[in-house]
Amino acid sequence: MIPTTACLFLSAMLFFLGMLGFLLRKNALVVFMSVELMLNAANLAFIAFARMHGGVIGTTGHVSAFFVIAVAAAEAGVGLAIIIALFRTRRTLDVDEVRALKH
Amino acid sequence: MEKLFPEYPFPIQNIESGLWLIIALPLLGAFINGVFGKALGRKNVHWVACASVGGSFLLSLLVMWALGKAQPEIPGPLAYALSADYGTWFAVGDFKVNFGLFADRLSATMLLVITGVGFLIHLYSTSYMEHDKGYAKYFSFLNLFVAMMLTLVLADSLVLLFVGWEGVGLCSYLLIGFWYDDEAKAWAGRKAFITNRIGDFGFLVASFLLVLLMAASVKEAPRGTPVSNPRFSASLAEKGPLAFQSLSTLASTLATPDISAAKLKAAKPDHKPALLMERDIQTGPLKGFSYSGVLTVVLLFFLLGAAGKSAQLPLYVWLPDAMAGPTPVSALIHAATMVTAGVYLFCRISYLVVLSPFAMATIAVVGCLTALIAALIAFAQDDIKKILAYSTVSQLGFMFMGIGCGLFWAAFLHVVTHAFFKACMFLGAGSVMHGNGDETDIKRLGGLRKEMPWTSWTFLIGTLAITGIVPLSGFFSKDAILFGLETQQLAGYTPVLHTLYILGLIAAACTAFYMVRLYVLTFEGKRSPLAKLPHAHESAWPMTLPLVILATLSIAAIVYGVPFLSVPNAPNQTLIEFYLAPVFNASNQANQLGMKAHMLLPGEFGGETPWNLLWTGWIKAWLIAVVCGGISCFLYLKVWRGGRKFPAILEPLRRFAHNKFFVDELYELLLINRTKGLAKGLYRYVDAFFVDRVAVHGTAQTVGFFGRVLRWFQNGNVQAYASAIALALAVGLTYALLQVLS
Repeated sequence: MIPTTACLFLSAMLFFLGMLGFLLRKNALVVFMSVELMLNAANLAFIAFARMHGGVIGTTGHVSAFFVIAVAAAEAGVGLAIIIALFRTRRTLDVDEVRALKH
Repeated sequence: MEKLFPEYPFPIQNIESGLWLIIALPLLGAFINGVFGKALGRKNVHWVACASVGGSFLLSLLVMWALGKAQPEIPGPLAYALSADYGTWFAVGDFKVNFGLFADRLSATMLLVITGVGFLIHLYSTSYMEHDKGYAKYFSFLNLFVAMMLTLVLADSLVLLFVGWEGVGLCSYLLIGFWYDDEAKAWAGRKAFITNRIGDFGFLVASFLLVLLMAASVKEAPRGTPVSNPRFSASLAEKGPLAFQSLSTLASTLATPDISAAKLKAAKPDHKPALLMERDIQTGPLKGFSYSGVLTVVLLFFLLGAAGKSAQLPLYVWLPDAMAGPTPVSALIHAATMVTAGVYLFCRISYLVVLSPFAMATIAVVGCLTALIAALIAFAQDDIKKILAYSTVSQLGFMFMGIGCGLFWAAFLHVVTHAFFKACMFLGAGSVMHGNGDETDIKRLGGLRKEMPWTSWTFLIGTLAITGIVPLSGFFSKDAILFGLETQQLAGYTPVLHTLYILGLIAAACTAFYMVRLYVLTFEGKRSPLAKLPHAHESAWPMTLPLVILATLSIAAIVYGVPFLSVPNAPNQTLIEFYLAPVFNASNQANQLGMKAHMLLPGEFGGETPWNLLWTGWIKAWLIAVVCGGISCFLYLKVWRGGRKFPAILEPLRRFAHNKFFVDELYELLLINRTKGLAKGLYRYVDAFFVDRVAVHGTAQTVGFFGRVLRWFQNGNVQAYASAIALALAVGLTYALLQVLS
């Protein structure tokens, strides 16, 4: 059986990668994918802990993962719509060009 | 009257509980005219105004009549009085004030004067103010004034009296500055208000001291004194310490002989009998002062208050400037009613006044100096209203002299007669102005006797009354005061009174001179070539009718002042003295008790009227009036009329008096400039710098500064925000790891 520590390590790696992607990449679509990556890293951690504990607590972990998947799906719907709308108006997906939230 | 109406139309309790209506009617009139005046139109406005005051007058007559019937149930100041208590007004801790009204013979007489003269002046104003654009506003203020004055007179405690006291001050301010688009008139209003406020300060301090004095005496008075009576404790708990009822009990307590001191006297026979008031206060914030000392201070503060309202030295300066208001206002407020508030106050608390000979002497001296100075200033004035104003100040001085020598009834009689003849003359002056294109300079008038017969005849009667010619009321009221100065004794201060008698005679002589000058220059001789209009016209009946009524009253009031017409069972008293005796009963009792300790003595003659002295006094006063009036008449009619110049030697003197002895300038230099400087400093450093710049702008600028700094973090780059989060996460993780590892 794969030890929990390994799963958590993988989760942390994935999260870190996602975070780096979110911070460094300029393409809005890629940034968005990074966010998804971080969400899935969190899911992995949930599942790993669920398996470690088992029982009722484990069930809770599984349920949390499902919630995250549901939220991620909704977010993907909204986020992709925004990205499409953004591309239609600006003809670009470079986040440095889209800085309307300014003082 | 009693034959016509032997029975009451309704029970006396109804009159008692309806006392508030007397105040409410003019107040309602003021409200209606003030709020709906424009919509009502001119015709209705004066109906509302006159009817409300007229209604009050009728109610006052009813009160007067009920008082005539009232039988004394309890002897003391409450006998011969109607009172109505409408419950607690406010209560703060132990201190409580009731909203109570109270009409005894003193206030009922005042009621009649206020509403009666007030009604005549309302009637007069309908014609005088005919063309003014602020017609409704004017009548609204006038009604409000009457309501406030009635509150002052009907109040049964010093606190409610103070409401009226402030209210008349406010109305006076509003009416003096009635034509506020003229800046000088607006300033005159402000001057009156501020000067009155100085007096009000004295009134307030005196009231506070009285509360403390009452508390101390309730705590410390020995058994058997009126204050320690359980009935008094109950009434004190119900009515509060500043009700006149409580104050008169305080006075009779303070005048009680001190028993422990009497024992001392048995040991040392030459020790004079002491009163309770000579004890020192043992408890409370006034600890260490004697009762009589505190009482004297109280009365001196009341004198300051009364000096503000009644235009005495040093606060008289506002009254001559108050002539900026419409003339009927001057007649009502600044001659007949409001300015007598100070005299009324002292009559009301006469039982306290008699306990302090020093305060009485001070009142008399202040009154006398005022009478003299105002009379001297009046010599050189040319404005008809200014002369009348100074003569009012001077006559008020006479009233204060009357109070100072203990003849409260004489002072009050002078209030009443003065109200009649001064209102008559002021209204006459208004009529003159009305008929001559608002000309007020008496040197540009003259010869009006034929053109304005009603005005001139009534004015002549007023002049003779104030001068003191025999068959007119002014002679008897003024002479009663002068006679009092000559014969009353005041413990330790009798020589002062005798000196004041001489000065009073001089003031009376001056009065005769300048009043005759005023009459002669205005009405006699030829019309001045400088006159504005070629011919004057007599005023309409609403203006002349009040003049005639007031002139008649100033003759008829003589009945109250002549000792021959005295009542059967009190042969040596004038009618007014007899009538007001229940009012001043408490003060007489206090005086009787105090006499044993040489506080105040009755006349040298043990209450008997010294007829020979009275006659010589009368002849002296009459001669002075006739001679001075005659000289003035001769000088102004014959010598200085025909273009001849005023003697050059007297010119600087005349100019000095014409400029009112530079008192205004002196105040300006000594006080007003300082106050203005202080106000300017406060404005500049406290208001403009501290409040505006530091507190208000400072707060905004500080917040703005932080906002500007924080704005740079809000750069709109999502990744920058995210890196801040990541950084925080990293720091948090590092910290957590360090915690775990160590």
